[in-house]
Amino acid sequence: MTKARQYHPLETILKDRIAVIDGAMGTTIRTYGMKEADIRGERFKSSSKDLLNNGDLFSLTQPKMICDIHRRFLEAGADIIETNTFGATSITQSEFFVDDPREHGGRKDPEFYQKIIDDAMLCDLAWEINDNSARQCREWADRVGNETGRQRFVAGAIGPLTVSLSNSPDADDAGFRVVTFDQVKTAYKQQVRALINGGSDLLLVETIFDTLNAKAALVAIREVFDEDGFADNNTELPIMISAAVGRGGETLISAQTTEAFWNAVQHVRPLSVGLNCSLGPNLMYPFLAELAEKADVAISCYPNAGLPNPLSPTGFDLGPPDMARYLGKFADDGLINIAGGCCGNTPEHIAAIAEAVKGKAPRKFETRR
Amino acid sequence: MNVDMSSPIEMKPLRLSGSQPFTQQPGVFIVLGERTNVAGSPKFAKLIKEGKHEEAVGVARQQVENGANVIDICMDEGMIDGVAAMTRYLQLLASEPEVAKVPFMVDSSKWEVIEAGLKCMQGKGIVNSISLKEGEEKFRRNAAKVLKYGAAVVVMAFDEQGQAASYEAKIRICERAYRILVEEVGFSPEDIIFDPNILTVATGMEEHNNYAVDFFEATRWIKQNLPHAKVSGGVSNISFSFRGNNKVREAMHSVFLYHAIAAGMDMGIVNAGMLEVYEEIEPELKILVEDVLLNRRPDATERLVDFGEKLKALGSAGSGDAVSEKKVEEWRNGTVEERLSHALVKGIDTYIEIDAEEARVKLGRPLLVIEGPLMAGMGVVGDLFGAGKMFLPQVVKSARVMKKAVAHLTPFMEAEKAAMVAAGEVVKAQGKIILATVKGDVHDIGKNIVGVVLACNNYDVIDLGVMVSCEKILERAKAEKADLIGLSGLITPSLDEMVHVAKEMERQGFKLPLLIGGATTSRAHTAVKIAPHYSEPVVHVLDASRAVPVTTSLLSDEGKEEFIAQHRAEYEALRKTYAAPQRKAVDLVTARARRTPIQWRAEDLPMPEFIGIRVLENFPLATLREFIDWSMFFHAWGLKGIYPRILEHAEHGVQARQIFAEGNALLDRIIAEKLLTARGVYGFFPANSVGDDVELYADETHSTAIERFHFLRQQSDREGSEPCRSLADFIAPKETGLADHIGAFAVTSGIGLKELCDRFRVVHDDYNAIMAEALADRLAEAFAECLHKRVRDEWGYGREEGLSPADLIHGKYQGIRPAAGYPACPDHTEKGVLWRLLDVQEKTGMLLTESFAMWPGSSVSGLYFAHPQARYFSLGKIDRDQVADYSARKSISVSEAERWLGPNLNYDPAE
Repeated sequence: MTKARQYHPLETILKDRIAVIDGAMGTTIRTYGMKEADIRGERFKSSSKDLLNNGDLFSLTQPKMICDIHRRFLEAGADIIETNTFGATSITQSEFFVDDPREHGGRKDPEFYQKIIDDAMLCDLAWEINDNSARQCREWADRVGNETGRQRFVAGAIGPLTVSLSNSPDADDAGFRVVTFDQVKTAYKQQVRALINGGSDLLLVETIFDTLNAKAALVAIREVFDEDGFADNNTELPIMISAAVGRGGETLISAQTTEAFWNAVQHVRPLSVGLNCSLGPNLMYPFLAELAEKADVAISCYPNAGLPNPLSPTGFDLGPPDMARYLGKFADDGLINIAGGCCGNTPEHIAAIAEAVKGKAPRKFETRR
Repeated sequence: MNVDMSSPIEMKPLRLSGSQPFTQQPGVFIVLGERTNVAGSPKFAKLIKEGKHEEAVGVARQQVENGANVIDICMDEGMIDGVAAMTRYLQLLASEPEVAKVPFMVDSSKWEVIEAGLKCMQGKGIVNSISLKEGEEKFRRNAAKVLKYGAAVVVMAFDEQGQAASYEAKIRICERAYRILVEEVGFSPEDIIFDPNILTVATGMEEHNNYAVDFFEATRWIKQNLPHAKVSGGVSNISFSFRGNNKVREAMHSVFLYHAIAAGMDMGIVNAGMLEVYEEIEPELKILVEDVLLNRRPDATERLVDFGEKLKALGSAGSGDAVSEKKVEEWRNGTVEERLSHALVKGIDTYIEIDAEEARVKLGRPLLVIEGPLMAGMGVVGDLFGAGKMFLPQVVKSARVMKKAVAHLTPFMEAEKAAMVAAGEVVKAQGKIILATVKGDVHDIGKNIVGVVLACNNYDVIDLGVMVSCEKILERAKAEKADLIGLSGLITPSLDEMVHVAKEMERQGFKLPLLIGGATTSRAHTAVKIAPHYSEPVVHVLDASRAVPVTTSLLSDEGKEEFIAQHRAEYEALRKTYAAPQRKAVDLVTARARRTPIQWRAEDLPMPEFIGIRVLENFPLATLREFIDWSMFFHAWGLKGIYPRILEHAEHGVQARQIFAEGNALLDRIIAEKLLTARGVYGFFPANSVGDDVELYADETHSTAIERFHFLRQQSDREGSEPCRSLADFIAPKETGLADHIGAFAVTSGIGLKELCDRFRVVHDDYNAIMAEALADRLAEAFAECLHKRVRDEWGYGREEGLSPADLIHGKYQGIRPAAGYPACPDHTEKGVLWRLLDVQEKTGMLLTESFAMWPGSSVSGLYFAHPQARYFSLGKIDRDQVADYSARKSISVSEAERWLGPNLNYDPAE
């Protein structure tokens, strides 16, 4: 670890200008009007549970649409696009393919999840989604990159899971956990390997609402780097970290405040740390400012398009000009190095954001050790 | 490695975290709590050995309350399964918000126990400890693992040869460990904490005499030579030879720390109860202890031992183990209601049963305790959570405390029920709720929390899990005879599924309330899109903390009707708001261009009979009575309907007739006995509008401005179909050269009201006290109406109206009388201008409070506009440009203007 580290080209960019990361996959998919039959295709035709909201599957069954979305975000000006793999772990996929034991009076517990992470079908499926999605992103990032003469980057997206390592769902036992740290780590390691295999440039642990889940992902990444020779060959991928915080600036499930969160993850020396999803840009501001003050790495910010508003057409409050105004302001205030959007942000939002931060100085940060 | 001391580098502080950050402060010693160490506390060891982990959580909480910055957790004991105990205990602590906020130190000599601990900490803790005892390779490997999990590390001064006792051995080992950690493993130097071994002195062995000095010197060397590294140690070791003599031990600890901190020691495991204040150590004892610690004379040990024996003989040595672990808990001095609330908010269950019992005895019935103080406490929790001042785990913790209280009360409720059954009464079963994340959605962490909170409140919760189809939910609800169904969903499509469930419930004739929750759901969406499809109540539950108040209200015999009525009214209002077309704002310049189009003609501007003010002393109440709007009187009593039709209303008619009769009876008395006095002041002033202000002049020359009212203009975009109105539009602009006028008034009928109400309340007649207030309010409004009639007459045009009092009440006349704080001019501070203009306080005794409320209550003030095109409107939302303009006009800061105009702002001022 004391070997000379090569600077990643993205790190150089982040010191030079504000980079743009793409918008939401889930809410953009919905504008294509896909139906249950579309996500199933031939392959999952007879699956017993509804799959429509298992958006990651579209990368397998509707690659054209997914690639179209990647292309649109790239053409809107995104420097970084995220793989469509937010839920591509055996654990999250199990929700769509395995009977919920609670329906039959059972419960989800480490015994249940051990079967899940040992399940060959789920593991293969998770691998396939990550690997395919990363390849699709790679292809389009390179294609648009070549056309425009500007390098684009693929961030392998690692989501928060549908289970929490910090919270007990059992009213009578605050010490109970449905799943163990090692089980979560195992599922994440598989995802990390597949994302790297498919050609990701970066690893993005995002929408963190439970820091312990995120730590399991970060340990998984470290172990993959060590076990697969990335550490020895000095080819470790840069890591980006992004939390989803509530109105008190706390991670939504595990209630850890912003600075405490940074202290808990800074040991991985990420390329960037930031906030995404949850509050929308306005309410996020003070916590982003706090993070920018405490952390000595690049700062990313890709909030939801405001708060969820089921009555608005996109499901969120803010339109492209609103997001552009907010992120432009964050840039003016010297808070960010990476700007983009989460839920409710379409390619039009990203184009507006890209325009708003263009030519604005990035936040200054120290070179990673 | 030597650092040039002439230019000392700045020490990087140790940064840690639990759920809260912890940053070492310069010159502040970090206290590591040691009572959660099986070796440090026999009580804790006993609890862990007996498997009483929940009880052991209290030990950790006490440590934090007593000021420990970090708590050291150690399970190293032959009879304890270290991995299992460490995991279980840390998972319990994670659910204890008051403890989880601090960083943890996982303390074990076994690596697997340490690793188990690291897997349970979301924050950055400390590993205690690793060492070179088993060679460099193992040291390096374990250090890399500590780094992988993200923790600071304590390194014992130990190597292959054993524990370092001498100064030379200590610094040699520490330097070697530091080099490996920083240069090979990649550790941040500020995360390295050396424990250079505090060894027992005064043992009688001569080679032990210099141990304290060796520690001080090694500490000093480490701080000077190993940049950013920290020093720690277990302080009580130093005094082991004086076990049983706490007085001496406490003095030794204190003196030791005094010197160690001076040498640079950053932190230590210290029992605060075993520490004398340095300045308060007896001078003789202090010298004897220093002689020992600093190894100043060969007979130091003997002298201290002799002194200790003397103390023992005198019986003042003290030998208790934990001397003062307990801090006086002040909150225990509050009323039982306050204590219950405190316990719920803080999540403390220690006394909850005692307090619940006290409340039960006090209130008479167990249910009253739940619905009273306990629900009130949970309400506080809900409010704090809503305001972002409490977090989910704390809410869950509160719910668990609530459960304990309810558990205590349950047997009493059972007994009560049994007695009722025996007496032949029907007893309602406990609430049963079906919870499910709807079809297509897999998110349920939030729903699980709702389940926990409800279960803790004794609801029978049936959780169907995620991706549950409508059919399954409804089937199960029927089979279980559920009382409520709760649907959850996080993603947008789940909203449609919820609508589907509501429709199906309607079709199948369900009669139970439906609860809606989840991150994308909202009150507005529930009201507009879901509720209309189902006849029974459909209630949006904002978060877990709100679940219990809602379910309790929906299932309570007494509160249900009222809750549902209020709920329906709120949702109806939301639907109306939503149905109103959404309008965009236009900028102020455009809005001004769209002012009310008025052709200004002299004949539309009546001339008042007088200029200046008139005072109305003792205005006859009998006259005002004619102008009372009785519909509003019924409204005040919660009866919504139009007078006089409401008197014949099928449902409310009886009640309406009764309060009407009683109201009039009291009004008769008020008038006959002159129980209330009506007083007012009003006036006419020459005026012209100047922009959105209206200038008032001293005389008809319109040359000397004496006052100025500031108005606001609508900014919602109706594409020009409607003007952007401002009250200033209804006064002739200065540039027209026309002489216009404005009227102003302030009236009250509340003089004597407080005394009247007090008289009723003294005899516990709250009903008539409220009635008196309701009547006084009506009289004040009637006064404004009646005076408006007089003003129109004095303006001239009113004399030709020929309207009945009923017509007047319904405003069928020319001109308006808007009031500051109402929709057309929402800024209450404009009352200040009015008060100056009419000299209201001097003339009537009416006062303005700091928040510009009028005193006494039952007062009305406002302006009179005479122009035929003057009309009421609602300002609606305004933008930054207008607020900036307005604050400049009023010479106040923008932030002050924003404070007064909060509800009208079309933006968030915090932005």
